[in-house]
Amino acid sequence: MGIKVDPEKCVSCMACELACGYHRDDGFALLSSCIMVTRGREKKDYSAVVLKEEENLVIARPEGLEIRKLGSTGEADQGREKEDASAKPLLLREPCDLCSDRGDGPLCLQFCPVNAISMD
Amino acid sequence: MEYLSANKITIVDLGTSKTVQKELDEDLVKENIGGAGITATLYEEYQDEDPIILGTGLLTGTLAPASALGLITAKNPLTGKVCHAPFTLYGGVELKYSGFDYVVIKGKSQKPVYLWIHDGVADVHDAKDVWGKDVWSSTETIRELMGDQLIQVLAIGKAGESESDFAHVCINYWASGDRWGFGQLFGQKKLKLVALRGMSLLEIADAEGFVRECKELLSTIKKGPFAGKKGIGELTAAIGEDIGKWLEPIIHRHLSCFNTPVPTNTFVFLDEDPKLLKESEKKEPGFLLSDIYGLLGFKKLGLSAADACALLKECAKYGIDAVAVSELSQKAGKKKPDEIKKFFSGLKGALESLGKGKFSPWCPKFGLPANEWDRRQAVAYIFGIHPIFALMSPELSEEKLIELANLGTGLGFTSEILDKVIADISK
Repeated sequence: MGIKVDPEKCVSCMACELACGYHRDDGFALLSSCIMVTRGREKKDYSAVVLKEEENLVIARPEGLEIRKLGSTGEADQGREKEDASAKPLLLREPCDLCSDRGDGPLCLQFCPVNAISMD
Repeated sequence: MEYLSANKITIVDLGTSKTVQKELDEDLVKENIGGAGITATLYEEYQDEDPIILGTGLLTGTLAPASALGLITAKNPLTGKVCHAPFTLYGGVELKYSGFDYVVIKGKSQKPVYLWIHDGVADVHDAKDVWGKDVWSSTETIRELMGDQLIQVLAIGKAGESESDFAHVCINYWASGDRWGFGQLFGQKKLKLVALRGMSLLEIADAEGFVRECKELLSTIKKGPFAGKKGIGELTAAIGEDIGKWLEPIIHRHLSCFNTPVPTNTFVFLDEDPKLLKESEKKEPGFLLSDIYGLLGFKKLGLSAADACALLKECAKYGIDAVAVSELSQKAGKKKPDEIKKFFSGLKGALESLGKGKFSPWCPKFGLPANEWDRRQAVAYIFGIHPIFALMSPELSEEKLIELANLGTGLGFTSEILDKVIADISK
């Protein structure tokens, strides 16, 4: 079981990122979030939602889903040349734990205003 | 100020290139709440030095729905009144997380400079790499220099450098809510741009209570009348201007500002297939529509949607208010894109659309009486709520925002305090 993102519904508002950051830090911050909206290609209107799972980096792009296996160092093992630089900090962070200690499910899902995030 | 705050104000003296930092006094917050309540107070304090004040609302950058707002408070060069202009997208949140709640920019520089505000540091830099460049090139240059594509940039273009009456402060590549010619003030101060980036943490007095309330509010909003609405076409329809069929063929996607439940911006592709899902190989395939009245102004000149949006892109690069351009072009009988573009330089004239109030007329009235619109804008500018979404969402009531402010800060705000702050900033 994991989180599923529909990038065609996503409006790049970052609510998921902040909700995840709150789950990690008990304050509002974006540094620890394991889900993020890549925003580095603003002029081209191209973004993706990237999620760090225990073993995978899940990249939900408008044209489709990509799953990259994470290596022992936490680095994705392929396609690094295509990486949006704004997503790189994600590789250093804790993987998604589905907000398991909260009891009411993942916060990112609850705060997505357009229902782009669901449970898989 | 312990909660929902970086607890710092920076005072930048462009005359000396020195910056001074001071704590955000909790009493200042208790009396003025935040946002325009505090930027107006800071303006008064530094008014002899013709300041530009940048700020965020009390709830900006939090999980409160639509907490996207950053604002510029300064003297409107066209009317001489102290006014507020919004900047949204991710500008408000990056300022909030930069380590400063408010930035006072006073004095004038002798040479072109820019301000780099990040991670608790505010520095004045020589702008030789960006002065003379258009807004798009300046944004790109700064992001490349700093090696960070997520930096948010408040920048002027040629219009601001030449101190045009209609110089516009852009956000990144796009139009902001500056309808006051604040770009002229940037130009007079030789301030090319302000670059914003931050990674700080905001603490919350009652974290679980605050987040629970935000979640309930969002849930109510998602059942409200604007749920599922998307883009600039829906906004224009709500003010009786149907642009759906005209704009639809070039729409690529609708985008929200930070944590804003309804996407109020629309990206159009001008040099690319709007249905493209993959990343475009074109360097500049389109434009983000973030200004309703600029778009409507060019539509009223009889332009096609593609020509109107291409002109908006030129306005943004030049850093000039598209509403002023369209209105004065109409008066001068200029209706072709090329002749309108040539008209940017030396644009002069009186605007009928110039707002007379304190808050930028960038935000439509949606049929509200002026006093109700003013009050709702004041509330949005105090708490840091997206000004357009604040009008779309009655769920974000004054009572709810006060409740959130109290859960977040533990300071005990009341409706009487809010009334007083609104009265103060509306003088």
